[in-house]
Amino acid sequence: MTAAAIFPALPLFLPELLLAGGALALLLIGAFAGPRSTAFVNGMTLLLLIVAGALVAMQPEGRTIAFNGAFVVDGFGRFMKVLALIGAAGALMLSFDDFRQRRLSAFEYPVLVLLSVTGMMVMISAGDLIALYIGLELQSLAIYVICAFDRDSTRSTEAGLKYFVLGALSSGMLLYGASLIYGFTGTVSFAGIAAAVTGAPHSGVIFGLAFLAAGLAFKMSAVPFHMWTPDVYEGAPTPVTAFLASAPKVAAVAITVRVLVGAFPGITGQWQQIIVFVSFASMALGAFAAIGQHNIKRLMAYSSIGHMGFALVGLAAGTEQGVYGVLLYMAIYVAMTLGVFACIVSMRRNGQPVEAISDLAGLSKQHPAMAYLFALLMFSLAGIPPLAGFFAKFYVFAAAIQAKLTLLAVFGILTSVVGAFYYLRIVKVMFFDEPKEALDPMPGAAKLVLALSSIVTVGYFVAPALLNVVAVAAAKTLF
Amino acid sequence: MIAAAVFFYLFSAVAVASAFMVIASRNPVHSVLFLILTFANVTGLFILLGAEFLGLLLIIVYVGAVAVLFLFVVMMLDVDFAELKKGALQYMPVGALVGLVLLAELVMIIGAWLAPAGVPRTVAAPIPPAAQITNTEALARVLYTDFVFYFQAAGLVLLVAMIGAIVLTLRHKPNVRRQDISRQVARNKEDVIELRKVPFRRGL
Amino acid sequence: MYHAIVFLPLAGFLIAGLFGRIMGARASEIVTTSLLFVSAALSWVVFWQVAYQSGPVHVTIVNWMTSGGLAADWALKIDTLTAVMLVVVNTVSALVHLYSIGYMHEDPSRPRFFAYLSLFTFAMLMLVTADNLVQMFFGWEGVGLASYLLIGFWYEKPSANAAAMKAFVVNRVGDFGFLLGIFIVFVMTGSVAFDQIFPKAAEMAGKTFHFLGYDWNAMTIACLMLFMGAMGKSAQFLLHTWLPDAMEGPTPVSALIHAATMVTAGVFMVARLTPLFELAPTALVVMTVVGATTAFFAATVGLVQNDIKRVIAYSTCSQLGYMFVALGVGAFGAGVFHLFTHAFFKALLFLGAGSVIHACHHEQDMRNMGGLRKYIPYTMIAMLIGNLALTGFPYTAGYFSKDAIIESAFASHSPAATYAFLCVVIAALFTSFYSWRLFFMTFFGEPRWKHHDAHGHEDHASAAHGRDDHAHAGHGHGDHTPHESPMVMMIPLAVLSVGALVAGAVFAGSFIGDNYEQFWKGALFTAKDNHILHDIHHVPLWVKLSPMIMMILGFVIAWWFYVKNPALPKQLAADQPILYRFLLNKWYFDEIYDFLFVRPAKWIGSFLWKKGDGWLIDGFGPDGVSARVVDVARGAVRLQSGYLYHYAFAMLIGVAILVTWYLVGGAH
Repeated sequence: MTAAAIFPALPLFLPELLLAGGALALLLIGAFAGPRSTAFVNGMTLLLLIVAGALVAMQPEGRTIAFNGAFVVDGFGRFMKVLALIGAAGALMLSFDDFRQRRLSAFEYPVLVLLSVTGMMVMISAGDLIALYIGLELQSLAIYVICAFDRDSTRSTEAGLKYFVLGALSSGMLLYGASLIYGFTGTVSFAGIAAAVTGAPHSGVIFGLAFLAAGLAFKMSAVPFHMWTPDVYEGAPTPVTAFLASAPKVAAVAITVRVLVGAFPGITGQWQQIIVFVSFASMALGAFAAIGQHNIKRLMAYSSIGHMGFALVGLAAGTEQGVYGVLLYMAIYVAMTLGVFACIVSMRRNGQPVEAISDLAGLSKQHPAMAYLFALLMFSLAGIPPLAGFFAKFYVFAAAIQAKLTLLAVFGILTSVVGAFYYLRIVKVMFFDEPKEALDPMPGAAKLVLALSSIVTVGYFVAPALLNVVAVAAAKTLF
Repeated sequence: MIAAAVFFYLFSAVAVASAFMVIASRNPVHSVLFLILTFANVTGLFILLGAEFLGLLLIIVYVGAVAVLFLFVVMMLDVDFAELKKGALQYMPVGALVGLVLLAELVMIIGAWLAPAGVPRTVAAPIPPAAQITNTEALARVLYTDFVFYFQAAGLVLLVAMIGAIVLTLRHKPNVRRQDISRQVARNKEDVIELRKVPFRRGL
Repeated sequence: MYHAIVFLPLAGFLIAGLFGRIMGARASEIVTTSLLFVSAALSWVVFWQVAYQSGPVHVTIVNWMTSGGLAADWALKIDTLTAVMLVVVNTVSALVHLYSIGYMHEDPSRPRFFAYLSLFTFAMLMLVTADNLVQMFFGWEGVGLASYLLIGFWYEKPSANAAAMKAFVVNRVGDFGFLLGIFIVFVMTGSVAFDQIFPKAAEMAGKTFHFLGYDWNAMTIACLMLFMGAMGKSAQFLLHTWLPDAMEGPTPVSALIHAATMVTAGVFMVARLTPLFELAPTALVVMTVVGATTAFFAATVGLVQNDIKRVIAYSTCSQLGYMFVALGVGAFGAGVFHLFTHAFFKALLFLGAGSVIHACHHEQDMRNMGGLRKYIPYTMIAMLIGNLALTGFPYTAGYFSKDAIIESAFASHSPAATYAFLCVVIAALFTSFYSWRLFFMTFFGEPRWKHHDAHGHEDHASAAHGRDDHAHAGHGHGDHTPHESPMVMMIPLAVLSVGALVAGAVFAGSFIGDNYEQFWKGALFTAKDNHILHDIHHVPLWVKLSPMIMMILGFVIAWWFYVKNPALPKQLAADQPILYRFLLNKWYFDEIYDFLFVRPAKWIGSFLWKKGDGWLIDGFGPDGVSARVVDVARGAVRLQSGYLYHYAFAMLIGVAILVTWYLVGGAH
């Protein structure tokens, strides 16, 4: 490929270029201007994320490729990229005040977030296994670092280290799977693999697929590759947890969908079994393990495991309808998660962050607005109509039933009933338990995030078409 | 060709054996040394395959830098690996079982792959013959053209690793006296030296 | 007017029930009592019109329910039978209301009491004015509810609660039969309205239905089932056990519900359904036997009871048996007539007993009375009149009705009727004995209350009247002399005394005599070959005289035992310990039922509770699920050890599982 070939493709990867270049520029500014520049770098990063989102949204319809197929731009990718950018922007906003109070403010954080998001976008757009792996590593490596960002805290560094070691292991598996697939098909491009793997494939391909799926499942924190999630969620600084719970999940789900649907359409029946198993296990664990939790961040970790299980129900269907469900699920999941973390980030008493569920006791009397919106989000996470969380579940279950995966759908409904227990327990604590000493008031950015999240959660019921139309178009580009 | 085959099996066998010794030896220094042996043998395999650039890179980068760094770290930290491994023994049976299962499955697959020759052996970018173009040049030709995307993205990964290392470890301790060359250079006698007339037998 | 009769008590109930706390006890008493008096007065007017003037009236209030073929109106069917019941119910109820003002004057929850009384009256009126079986069942259950509430009125007393529950549960057995009877009738005739059932009775009589491999005669089964309902409500043999226990309620309640009105509902129901029963001879035979047995059995038990109210309660039971004998042998007029007269003298006896109890500061044990004639002469006169009427002293109310029953039992020449005749004659002897025994023990002999009055009084006051501390305003604690009851209690006694004396003489001609046809106007159906009310005029003289002889004999024995030679009863009891204990323990019915039903039921209940509900349903249902959830949660949490190599190991196992899955079974 020559320069003449690269530049026409420029609009396709302009958002990624903007983010990467922006990251480099902000890194230089920060390095030379020192800690004074942190606020500026923060603001610029937010701006970059928003601009990148706008650029992604304005990219041409349909499917176009660049770099010999390593980079794919289609409706599906654009939808997921926008989601990831929203998640990153929201989580970044939550970090401003929190890091200032923890005295953690540093210009490196937004730069690392930017680089991580760049990795996610590369990953979402990946058209072959190499781009997939590089994007994944770029994303993960930055996250390992920001998990340990509070380096004076044992829990934070432990979280970063654990994530790093297990992430390395999962990367190893993914690479092993990718090399097996390359070995048995002779190509790394998804399109090439799809052409090579038809009918009854060689078991080596499936072997590789299993390893590949294991690596991706780790990134989605799906059972049984979820073990890092509770520890890391709990240990990492709360805004980092918010980031972890939103953007990387979107990217991981997106690439999983793209690999499975894009590279292995010929053996849907085979990979369906992996996804069904993983989905089953994730929903069950997410529902049951969260019950015993006292730390709200840990609880949210199990909650996100469960939600990944639900999202995978849609993927397990393997149909356009199913992918549509996944897209909707992720969109609503990101909105709800950001809102919940806006509340969790705001849980401070006399300036000190608190994380126990019991610290929420009596919130309804101290901060009624926050308590009501928090309760609303909890109801939505539990999947209670007419909130958005209900429709998210509805679409994936409907797709599963259409794909004759009735058992999976029924199991999903059962686990969501069990899961409702711990969501409602939080509501109970907020509204019916004896109040403790009052929490500090919410910072402005958190208020904004919570408000936007609540609007989506409630508003989806009012105007579902706004989201549905886009999701339908996005799902169509994969098939 | 027989010589090539003999060397292939020799390098392979030694590589696998020494890789095993990396994890099996009790002394961590020995482990690192076995790691270096593994690298050396893999270099041999690369060269047998005609990828002399990668082979030499392995020697220079991994053996010359990474493995030696490992050696220093291991020697400096003085970690008692025997102590660490103690707890792991209780998981040996289960671990061995899982490992055996995976190994058996791998063997089955490789066997199945060797038996029928119908599997496509297409290679995306075959190594050009050494007579026409050198290995290094062939790599260089695609690195900034066809694979510029991967190359740049990988560069970003390395950048992140660098930032991460700095963020997590660099500390500005206020009480540590550091050398500040510009201040040293800018000093002059008038600012730092004061001459006093000390009265006899009275002190300052 | 008809509406007023039925709805004034309801209005009283609503006013006293809803606003009783606000307007106070006195206002509640006045409102409910005056409404009842209005209602009673109107009832007499209606009785006069319907029985002697214009004839039956039918008033539709509202269409109650229509569901498929089932149509039930809420309507008032007022014929002579209903009119008789209206008179009985409203008169006694009004008098009991008045009486209660005096009797209950120490009780703090009088508004509630009067509300319940009015509720009961309304339900009873619904029952007697019903024009279909469903409405009748509604009233039937309504009186059951009111009865439950009133028996358990002093709900602090465990015994009262137990008695209330017992009454309710035993009645459920009967109601089950009643419901089945209604169902059969509905299935067979396609209607529940009396006006549509009765014309079809003849065709129904021939029908059979197939059940459990047999063909059953529909009419017989239906009537037996309906009679089972009547047995429960009217405390007939085998289902009688609740009635004596129901005496735990306040005495006016006993007079109203458990003597005059509710317990006669069974008799009324059979009388109302005579067009059906007349075509079911088997059911009538059963009814005769059951009634006779009850009359005899209850009388024997009444001989030895010491609680003044229990004696009268067993007497009631016995008299109800008489009524069923009359119905069973086809002398429907006699049965209803006895119902009518019995209401007066039995209410009189109960209220008189209440006056005695009131005088003795809520002492109910006759062994702690005696010699009261000097202290409460008017009450004694009232009780004397009641006794005379009950035992059938010539020309009192009981004389006409009871003798008519005994004679009709003789005149009907079936074996069952002969058995019934023997039973009721012997029962007449016993009736006379226990009535006079009660009378003598209470009013004659040595006063036994002085010796241990302080002790006995405290004991019984607290037992009988657990809730109030019995302050005795006006007469201090030192003075335990029996005292005559206030005027509000004496007036009802006087009115009922008049009724007990003359009701028989005045109405005998109408109910069972020459004016039978004009009076009933077909309200009681009699088959063409049923001439029993004529036959009773032709029975031998010894039959006619037998009740009289029995009465005198009973009186003499009682006088001998309790006035002339008071030591004799104890000696007799000591000589015949087995018989005495047998009778004292009411033929051991409670014990037998306890063994046969209560304990197995409790065992089944506790089995179902502990094993069925606790172990099976809770264990595998809610508790089990939640416990498993917690277990699973705990397990899942324990997996989360925090050790890196555990996590890594879990991932490796996971990937191994995935791969193995494919190689072994998944792929291809």
